[in-house]
Amino acid sequence: MKPVLDIRDLGISFGGLKAVDQVSFQAQRHRITTVIGPNGAGKSTLFNLISGALKPHRGQVLIDGVDMTGAAPERTKAAGLSRSFQITSLFPELTVAENLRLAAQVLEPTGRAFLPVGRSTQALARTGQMLERFQLAHKRDDLAGNLSHGDQRRLEIAVCLASEPKILLLDEPTQGMSHGDTAQTARLVRSLTDDVTILLIEHDIGLVMDLSDHVVVMHQGRKLAEGPPDLVRADPAVQAAYFGHA
Amino acid sequence: MHDRLTQSMRASHLLALLFVLAALGLAAMGAATGDTFYLRLGTEALIFAGLALSVDLLLGYSGALSLGQALYFGIGAYVSALTLMKLPSFWLAMAAAFLATLIASIIGGLIANRVRGVYFALITFGLAQVMAKVVYNTRELGASDGMIGIPVIEIGFGPFSVSAGSPVGFFLIVLAVIMGLYALTAYLLDTPFGRVLTALKANEKRVPFLGYSVWRARMAAYVLAGVIAGLSGALYPMLRGFVSPELMFFATSGNAVISVVLGGVGTLIGAIYGSVLLVILKSIIGSWTEHHLIVIGLLFMLCVMFLPRGLVGVVRPAIETWLSRRRPAPVAAADPADLPAIIAETARTSR
Repeated sequence: MKPVLDIRDLGISFGGLKAVDQVSFQAQRHRITTVIGPNGAGKSTLFNLISGALKPHRGQVLIDGVDMTGAAPERTKAAGLSRSFQITSLFPELTVAENLRLAAQVLEPTGRAFLPVGRSTQALARTGQMLERFQLAHKRDDLAGNLSHGDQRRLEIAVCLASEPKILLLDEPTQGMSHGDTAQTARLVRSLTDDVTILLIEHDIGLVMDLSDHVVVMHQGRKLAEGPPDLVRADPAVQAAYFGHA
Repeated sequence: MHDRLTQSMRASHLLALLFVLAALGLAAMGAATGDTFYLRLGTEALIFAGLALSVDLLLGYSGALSLGQALYFGIGAYVSALTLMKLPSFWLAMAAAFLATLIASIIGGLIANRVRGVYFALITFGLAQVMAKVVYNTRELGASDGMIGIPVIEIGFGPFSVSAGSPVGFFLIVLAVIMGLYALTAYLLDTPFGRVLTALKANEKRVPFLGYSVWRARMAAYVLAGVIAGLSGALYPMLRGFVSPELMFFATSGNAVISVVLGGVGTLIGAIYGSVLLVILKSIIGSWTEHHLIVIGLLFMLCVMFLPRGLVGVVRPAIETWLSRRRPAPVAAADPADLPAIIAETARTSR
């Protein structure tokens, strides 16, 4: 089957530094592909290249077979790619429900753009679904900026999912979460694969091994290895570079 | 649908209704006593309220501080004046001002929207100053003297007509136009289109990743604001019978910003209250001392320090709470998908 996301020989340099260099891999439909690597390996830059926040200097990004290399974020979004941020990026002065409704608004036919928001039936229904699925219903009228860190991280995923994307890029969704919250979020992420393909950046190795179908290891901007979690873990090169002890 | 932003807008609408009722009451009093001065002053306050409205659309919703909104107000006024001198028709003057400010704000937006924040403020300031100087030095437009001798027009609505020379008649027309602009802006801000503008202010960086073009949204807000300022400006020569380059000067733009801050940024109706308040303050304090601008400046500073949300910003939350208590109806009308939320909400509030 055709991969949902096809990364070919992607590269960008900042000054003399090759932040991402010759990276190629594919993300298969309804699977979780995880990118791991030490700090500064180029994981977040890779996400920025794929989502359109940065334009690559070389290589290609194909979303569902369509070349979206260097397309602006709103265009990669329209192609079905949704992303979260390592540092939570919500609309803090807006309510939880409005954060979701705003994201789900793309589901409405364009003709409704100039009707009152109360008439956006699809967006509102989707907002309701998301509130329930992410256990945020009782906080729907709270300002997003007033939520706890864990709730904000969950809302961030919900916002990404509200627009019914094909691919979800999650940049350290469990960052800064408590142990219990992490486990809960892991279950949540796993349950999402029914609807979407997930590309994940994660630091918690236990979580990566548990959750991933496919792991891509990055080191100094390059792809060091890729494969199923067990194989990657056993790879001596990966152990030397990433796990630090062989 | 229980939506906080819709609720806030409803609170603004209630204040708008109060404003219109008060304005109608005062107009009736003015007409009964045969007043001219105060009705004309009130009309002028309303015209500048339209300019303040356009500043609040940018500052309070899309989050961009324009220090040159008088540019479009002035273009509207000059185009309206030129049209009226050729053909004294209210509708034609309004249409011409609309078209001219539409084009001007598209051009201005293409320039100003390349930057944001302080740079946006400076560019808008610069654009207005440049245009004001151009007008100031153009003899065909009356140069520094401006243009005088704009005819007093009859404003026709089918079989009826009102003279712009009638203090109460023209007051009511301006009231209708400005409140119409308020209603249009408020409506648009409560649509999916308008909510993207609100999102710009809340977190512009996130907006493209939700699938919306930031540039387009900023342009839409800028052009809409430009046209609102232009239509308000078009009324000015009908009231005063002249236009002058001062209409484009920074003092005009600055007053509009002060009005918005006094009234409450991001409340829309606050811009209108603030503008009227500023005119009242100026004429009261101006009757005591010719240095009234010093007093206004001090009041503005005090307002920023002690009342940063402005008059309406302080009052509105209370009205919102009152409206939501008065209206438990959203529960009954809600989407079935929201049921768990409603149950949770009810459980929480009844505890």
